[in-house]
Amino acid sequence: MPKHDTPLLDQLESGPWPSFVKDLKRQAEKNPACWDILGQMEVSYEDKITHWKHGGIVGVFGYGGGIVGRYSDMPKRFPGVAHFHTVRVNQPSSKFYNTKVLRQIMDIWERRGSGMTNMHGSTGDLVLLGTFTEELEEIFYELTHDVGVDLGGSGGNLRTPSCCLGQARCEWSCYDTAEACHNITMTYQDELHRPAFPYKFKTKFSGCPNDCVAAIARSDFSVIGTWRDDIRIDQAAVKGYVNGEFPANGGAHAGGDWGPFNIKKEVIDLCPTNCMWMEGDELKIDNAECTRCMHCLNVMPRALRPGLDQGASILIGAKAPILDGAQLSTLIVPFIKMDAENEFEEYKEIIEKCWDWWMEEGKNRERIGESMQRIGLPTFLKIMEIDPIPQHVKEPRSNPYVFWKEEEVEGGFERDLAEFRKRHPM
Amino acid sequence: MADREEVKAQILELLTKSKKPALYLKDMQKKVDAKPREIKNAANELVRDQKVMFWSSGSSTMYALPERAKDEDKIGV
Repeated sequence: MPKHDTPLLDQLESGPWPSFVKDLKRQAEKNPACWDILGQMEVSYEDKITHWKHGGIVGVFGYGGGIVGRYSDMPKRFPGVAHFHTVRVNQPSSKFYNTKVLRQIMDIWERRGSGMTNMHGSTGDLVLLGTFTEELEEIFYELTHDVGVDLGGSGGNLRTPSCCLGQARCEWSCYDTAEACHNITMTYQDELHRPAFPYKFKTKFSGCPNDCVAAIARSDFSVIGTWRDDIRIDQAAVKGYVNGEFPANGGAHAGGDWGPFNIKKEVIDLCPTNCMWMEGDELKIDNAECTRCMHCLNVMPRALRPGLDQGASILIGAKAPILDGAQLSTLIVPFIKMDAENEFEEYKEIIEKCWDWWMEEGKNRERIGESMQRIGLPTFLKIMEIDPIPQHVKEPRSNPYVFWKEEEVEGGFERDLAEFRKRHPM
Repeated sequence: MADREEVKAQILELLTKSKKPALYLKDMQKKVDAKPREIKNAANELVRDQKVMFWSSGSSTMYALPERAKDEDKIGV
């Protein structure tokens, strides 16, 4: 039986899409506190302001992240949500849960929280929505001792690292993303749980340039699998696609009437760098021109595969703020090896150098991408001790100039003007 | 460069005398004579010793003395 009238929220149930209002009403039958979520939201819709107060001293002992405090500013009217703290739970790498773990987590959350979840937050955590301060330590104890999971990151911390399915399920993955994500999570426990940085810092691991975790858009430190030798071509399979023996795109989009597969129209002409052509019935690729867009591999997965000299590119500086619009990561290191055997040493060397600089120079609430923009890419490359390469230049003449120092130029800046004019008369 | 105990003392003094009830790490870096990582480690030891508390907005984190952290209406981001 509804505790509050919610005519504005009720309208949301009438649309064609699944509604969170319906979910909340269903949950409220089990947990009456959820009626107060609906009641407070209805008031917010009427008043056109939020009635949540964000932030606070809530947390579990010794951790500076993982719990996000939230309170109602109308606790007497809506006592069920007087406190409504969020608990972020670090998801397993690649989100490989078993049902036992999910049931255990939900048992805890039904007993000690609202039962409402967000699966998953954009950083990747399981987000458990709404509990009281006095339940936090109990929840933390049960999660860590009974289920074997930990809290994720929040605040000015390393946020919960996340990764794609990687080599566990995907033939394109150029390194073991799940192993990398787990290793980095365990190595940087201190940075994850104890605030260290001027603002949030996210790292994500994608196994190939398809970038299934959107690392390039959503992480300050994006690790995207790539290769530095040639795309492997199975010419017999290319013929198979051309002859219609294999469905393009692995059979995706097969429902439409697309006509027979046309390799020129559907692959070669769509290559962004025009680096493919047919010689007779053989497909040729100028690999030096390939920008790893993945289109040809996606369309003909049986015929084309990533090269064998595999690793990852490091891109830095993405953020997705609400007001300014999204900023993608910028390529900083074109290729590193992502070896589990050496504990991802190259990755760690680069990320720690970034942190050491950003902790010193970053301003309060300034993402590393904003710090980079403020000082300019050439300066950032110098700090990172990386020589500029053409791939660092996005657009000549507008972004960014690379200035040479005299000692870096053979013969210096001195020149014989008379000699120059002999070759270039006025 | 100050040693760990000295850094902790400087942090506590700063948190006591500061006009704002809670401070960011960056605020401490301007006043405490130590590298950022050393300040962060010292501040976190103070949290473990229950002399300092975290105040988090969810997106960023501040440090405060327990008696001042309760003055939440004056803490903001």
